[in-house]
Amino acid sequence: MTAFVIRRLLQAVLVLFVTSIIVFVGVYAIGDPLEILLPPDATMAERAQVTQALGLDQPLPIQYGHFLWNALQGDLGTSFVYNQPSISVILARLPATLELAFCALVLAIIIGLPLGLISGLKAGSATDETIMTGSILGFSLPNFWQGMMLIMIFSVYLGWLPSTGRGQTGTIFGIETSLATWDGIRHLILPALNLSLAKIALVIRLTRTGVQETMPLDFVKFAKARGLSSRRIVFVHVLKNILIPIVTVIGVEFGSLIAFAVVTETIFAWPGVGKLIIDSINILDRPIVVAYILVVVTMFILINLFVDILYSLLDPRIRSKAR
Amino acid sequence: MTWRASIARVAITSALLASLSLTALAADIVIGRSTEPSAIDPQFSRTGNNQMTADNMFETLLSTDANLQMHPHLATEWTNIDPLTWEISLREGVTFHDGSPFTADDVLFSLDRTDKVPNSPAPFSDVVSSVDTVEKIDDYTIRVTTKQPNPALMEQIGRVFMLSKAAAEGAELADFNSGKAAIGTGPYQFVAWKPAESLTLKAYPDYWGEQPDFENVEFRFIANNAARTAALLSGSVDLIDLVAPSDVPRLEQEANIKVYPIESGRLVYLALNMRDDTAPGVVDASGQPINPNPFRDANVRKAVSAMIDRSLLVDRILGGSGVPSAQVVPSALGGYVPDLLPTPADPAEAKRLLAAAGFPDGFGITLYSSNDRFPGDGEIAQAMGQLLARGGLQVNAVQTQPYNVYAAAATKGEYGAFIFSLGASTPNSESNLRSLLQTYDQEAGTGGFNRMRYSNPEFDAMLRSAMEEFDYDTRMEKLQEATRIAMDDQAIVPLFFQKIYWASRDGIDFTPNLAERTIAQDVRLEK
Repeated sequence: MTAFVIRRLLQAVLVLFVTSIIVFVGVYAIGDPLEILLPPDATMAERAQVTQALGLDQPLPIQYGHFLWNALQGDLGTSFVYNQPSISVILARLPATLELAFCALVLAIIIGLPLGLISGLKAGSATDETIMTGSILGFSLPNFWQGMMLIMIFSVYLGWLPSTGRGQTGTIFGIETSLATWDGIRHLILPALNLSLAKIALVIRLTRTGVQETMPLDFVKFAKARGLSSRRIVFVHVLKNILIPIVTVIGVEFGSLIAFAVVTETIFAWPGVGKLIIDSINILDRPIVVAYILVVVTMFILINLFVDILYSLLDPRIRSKAR
Repeated sequence: MTWRASIARVAITSALLASLSLTALAADIVIGRSTEPSAIDPQFSRTGNNQMTADNMFETLLSTDANLQMHPHLATEWTNIDPLTWEISLREGVTFHDGSPFTADDVLFSLDRTDKVPNSPAPFSDVVSSVDTVEKIDDYTIRVTTKQPNPALMEQIGRVFMLSKAAAEGAELADFNSGKAAIGTGPYQFVAWKPAESLTLKAYPDYWGEQPDFENVEFRFIANNAARTAALLSGSVDLIDLVAPSDVPRLEQEANIKVYPIESGRLVYLALNMRDDTAPGVVDASGQPINPNPFRDANVRKAVSAMIDRSLLVDRILGGSGVPSAQVVPSALGGYVPDLLPTPADPAEAKRLLAAAGFPDGFGITLYSSNDRFPGDGEIAQAMGQLLARGGLQVNAVQTQPYNVYAAAATKGEYGAFIFSLGASTPNSESNLRSLLQTYDQEAGTGGFNRMRYSNPEFDAMLRSAMEEFDYDTRMEKLQEATRIAMDDQAIVPLFFQKIYWASRDGIDFTPNLAERTIAQDVRLEK
């Protein structure tokens, strides 16, 4: 297990190195940040001043060399726009995104799993049909449109829930979170629901398929023959077997919830990293873009590692192989 | 009386009290802003989003009104002792948010710091570039000498935000962002800034000027147009800026919503590239680049202008959110030429001009545009393509790109005919004429945004003469004359000025402005 983890971490370093080159060159190729940063009536003297201050007068390989040297010392560059270390700009916004993604994931599980179980156990019934049709809506309607509809219904017409921002935050275990105050939770409901809709649909379908595949298997028949209650069969034996694909998918999806919460964050003016990265790409704030992608890549690597370890806990066969 | 009844009475009373205190607090306001600042230090960046943030808390020697005209503010009057020397009197009785008085020392400190803010992505350097020395005569008088005669000095240093020397000396960016050094003389003072989320301000009770109407102000940063509109409709914000033109009809129908339109100073224009012997995308019938570059012939540029139906662009594509234009600045600004009006499309005249230039059958052209810079830019490019085709050119393609890709390529001269926009932020046309139309010269540092490489010695001479003119009226006349020369040449093909909109709930009033700024002092309780 230890060797496995070490090998994965070494791979991770290589991936990070290659990613940094691709992103660095990629952002450089898009365009010239000065075109966007400078006001249109900027003089050439001002232009020269900024070019030099931001280090953009150096050739690309030298700029990259500087970046790499500093990165090895833990400095991922200073944002062109904010003039703060890019990593601290990102880390300042990450908690809001993590909180949103986490709540969306929890919603996906507590709503998706039971509905999927019901659907799978009562396959073909009217309940199943309803749930499945609902999940098609979750999948196929554009995330953006769902968000606007949630706002129109719950904020504009009913006036129940606020539609923008994070509301009042409080501190739980030293972490600043909206979950600490009622106002914060009210602000969190709509964006978290918006972000989770597609994931709920995904979990429903995965669970339903899993249940349908597992129920006819021999061990379920044996369990029934032994006289176990159907509740125990479903919640202990069947659930344990269908959880592996669900855990894999949820793990990867958690990464994508964080990395691609952009649409939801934009609609609900949620102060997370998704909006930051889009703005930074538009304004060609290269240090932020590079640092963000490296953070996301690291996160995906860690999540995958975590999922692999979780597997081995869920499935004894994998555990023995890993050893 | 039972205990139940008394509880009920207490509940009702407290509800009444709560509603009373609500009316007392009704003078709070939440403003939904489309852009957010990158820092609180007012001298860090002179982009619009940072300046309009600073305008709430900090002040300048001259103030800028809704029509971009400048008036005495922290400086009350000034005189030229000679063309190089200015004596400026400062307003007395002004205090900073920490209670300390505003004096000449703060002005000296602020002017000196202007071009020394480290790593500024959009420095204010130019506004103090002509300044040679600044000295203090007494606490409320300073003397400025310039390197060369500069009639526009006050318009330039009048834009420098005044900082408290005591609070800002040696302060870092983080000290401003936390509010520690964010000590200005403005009507509102800093409370808290949460990047990407909100900026909270409170009224400064000892403000010297017109008292603010609101005790607490919260700016909420809502970048998405639809979300901003929804936030206003749901009542979570009281005022929003940059309303999408497509949302305007909907908001105008709402009973409790007011919409504030204004013709902005942002000009959308078609640039015709004259920098090389051939222009990218300008080809003959066989697809070969045409040499010499047709856009170097003023007749061709005028022909292109005559093909364009500006009213059609504005009415059909933008739903009326624009004002056709034939020059660089709108009518409210100095240097505007009153008799230079947009003419209707004239395909016959376009044909005649093309024939006179030696292209009776037109030529092939590719049109370029951004697609995310201003409302409708991509659609306008498509419509322009059709207008040019109707006018007798062979439009081979209309290519639109995201602005971050587009801007750099346009500056490098990779486009032959391309659509761009330019906003106004100064009281007259001088600054825009300088950056857009003055001959490009890297050494002299002129014509920085003259992507077409238009060059006319007569225009340059007139503009230079205006820049050296101390008499205000003569200076404006010279700017008008310079505009006439450039537009006779069709140096650019002006299309229209954008209309922009704010919207609020009933009960408040907003003064819309040309500068596209959203500041709390422009928001008032309805009288």
